[in-house]
Amino acid sequence: MKSPLVGFAGMTHLGLVSGSALAGRGFEVVCYDSDAALIARLARRDWPVLEPGLDGLILANGARQRFTSARDELSSCDIVYVARDVPTDDQGRTKLSGLTALIRDVAGVMNSEAVLVVLSQVPPGYTRGLGLWPPERLFYQVETLVFGQAVERAMKPERIIVGCADPAASLEPRFRAVLAAFDCSILPMRYESAELAKISINCCLVASVTVSNTLAELCERIGADWSEIAPALRLDRRIGAHAYLTPGLGIAGGNLERDLATVESLSEAYGTESGLIVAALRNSRYRRDWPLRQLHARVLSRVAHPVIAVLGVTYKENTQSIKNSPAVALIEQLVGCRITVFDPAVRPLQQWHPHLTVADDALACCEGADALVIMTPWPQFRSLRASELGRRMRGRVVIDPACVLDRAAAAGAGLEHVALGAPSPAQAET
Amino acid sequence: MTLSHAHDEPRNPARVVVLGASGFIGRRLLEACARRGIAAVGLASRDLDLADAVAAGALADRLRAHDVLVFLAALTPDKGRDSGTLMRNLAMARAVCEATRGVPIAQLVYASSDAVYSFATTLISEETPAAATDLYGAMHRLRELMLASEAKAPLAILRLTAIYGAGDTHNSYGPNRFLRQALSEGRIALFGNGEETRDHLYVADAVALILEVVTRGSTGLLNLATGTSATFRAVADMIAAYSGRPVAIAPSTRHNPVTHRHFDISNLLRAFPDVRFTSLAEGLAATFAGVRADTRG
Repeated sequence: MKSPLVGFAGMTHLGLVSGSALAGRGFEVVCYDSDAALIARLARRDWPVLEPGLDGLILANGARQRFTSARDELSSCDIVYVARDVPTDDQGRTKLSGLTALIRDVAGVMNSEAVLVVLSQVPPGYTRGLGLWPPERLFYQVETLVFGQAVERAMKPERIIVGCADPAASLEPRFRAVLAAFDCSILPMRYESAELAKISINCCLVASVTVSNTLAELCERIGADWSEIAPALRLDRRIGAHAYLTPGLGIAGGNLERDLATVESLSEAYGTESGLIVAALRNSRYRRDWPLRQLHARVLSRVAHPVIAVLGVTYKENTQSIKNSPAVALIEQLVGCRITVFDPAVRPLQQWHPHLTVADDALACCEGADALVIMTPWPQFRSLRASELGRRMRGRVVIDPACVLDRAAAAGAGLEHVALGAPSPAQAET
Repeated sequence: MTLSHAHDEPRNPARVVVLGASGFIGRRLLEACARRGIAAVGLASRDLDLADAVAAGALADRLRAHDVLVFLAALTPDKGRDSGTLMRNLAMARAVCEATRGVPIAQLVYASSDAVYSFATTLISEETPAAATDLYGAMHRLRELMLASEAKAPLAILRLTAIYGAGDTHNSYGPNRFLRQALSEGRIALFGNGEETRDHLYVADAVALILEVVTRGSTGLLNLATGTSATFRAVADMIAAYSGRPVAIAPSTRHNPVTHRHFDISNLLRAFPDVRFTSLAEGLAATFAGVRADTRG
């Protein structure tokens, strides 16, 4: 069997990374998007997404990977992945109309014997309900990319979950050949199971983070230290070495919110119990305000018109996404303050705050600040020296949710350093 | 429905009308208005019985267009806990609703209570469902619903936690009662060992926040609390220390389960980022000073 020609439709983050990974596994890949300007940008290697390793991967792929806005080029593909990221609204609800339209467009030009794979994030029932491709050649494949680690996860998946019309039947040979190139377990199952598997993965992660948030908050109050507890949990094989046990500032980025909204919506429609999801969302909203509460208690209630330095605006490191970013929410709430901001990947917007100054680098951002809030744990922030921060800042308060700075060094520099899950340093009596 | 402001900066309204003017908060609010140069009129029950059948018309006659009406008046549990008291309180709310339908006031600020919340939820925010378990809490919740659906004015609902300070007219369990007991009996009686935690808001801070809501033209829902709760035992110990005389703390056999209440004040901090709260220690000290001054006066 000759090596299949594979098409990817939709050059958002998912399609671009997944298509590049497949080309990296040696396949010839056609990367299609109807947006000619986007394709031109990709052809110039001006990537619209920030992912470590993506540039090197595409460069190494060479002529195996080509970008096009000509939909007809998909007609020669043996397999076409529809891989456009599905947008969500502010409530995390999925907007599928664009994806469905894309699938129709692509199906309209595909070779009738080709394989169609839906890689985009869809709710259970979507693939079976499409009705516009022969089911024996229609598959749903679960994507498990993580922003900031997407290339590695696309190149080396832990397993591949495939939704099929008939899980007992052998996978279509060309499709199997593509999946086999990743040298990992392939798990065929019915469409709905695969669609829900994707959501289930995220729900388990959310549950783990919510537990961590809940217990980390207790640590802050009772003098325990979550950083001492988490390693002990990871050594319990029922929990696991890679468990998501890092407390955070709530769910952001869009993907987790989308899947929680889907579960809530399905639960309401089918009358199943979904208190866990409601609780996770409530915990997320509550934790998001942790920096505001800390800032108020330690600075805003004591200093008139303080200068607040904010490091990081993206919702996580190694990404350009500010979707549901706690940092942006915090900046917008600090009315009456002056804000200086620095982010290594995204230029902060003036519209977020009437008194916002964009700094050129992290240290410049901290100059003269009454408080520093490290909202995104970019790796480069870990090299900041507490003693240098202490010299540059006017105030002593450092709110560091992810504990980017060394706590002992911060204390040694006379800083009032606060981190999620860490025992709170004493506050001066008001 | 969290709080939103009509004005980016505080501005004095044309006039403030306070219902419940002789009450603990009402008196302080009128004093604060005077200090800030805000024209204000206070109406107490002796001026206008809101539960009376003709109260709506009488109130409407006293209101002017563009007034801000602060509705503090209520028959509190010490005045009655029965359904008769409930119905009188609801009649008062109905009168306010009817009066506002006839006069285009600028804003209606309703002082509700955290009694609308059940103790089944310990950490309270504005998202916490109202689930009153007694007639007093139900009264406030019903009033909120009545005002929201029938009053014709931009509405701010403020759910107040326990308020304390000198000049309190109630004798509710907590700082106010403990202080009276300490001074008059040299003894503070606790339920159980005073393990329950509650959020206590100093009256001057409550008044300051109400004035912020008034001068910003705010509408929506907000819990007024400090975000820091203390046990009744801790409060009793502080009061005993401030009293300047030996005070016995007297625990008792517990008949009801321990309940706790804490507030997530994130929405309040978003609405008023530079809010400052008087600490319990400072507030109790000021209360003592106020009570002693009142006694001497």
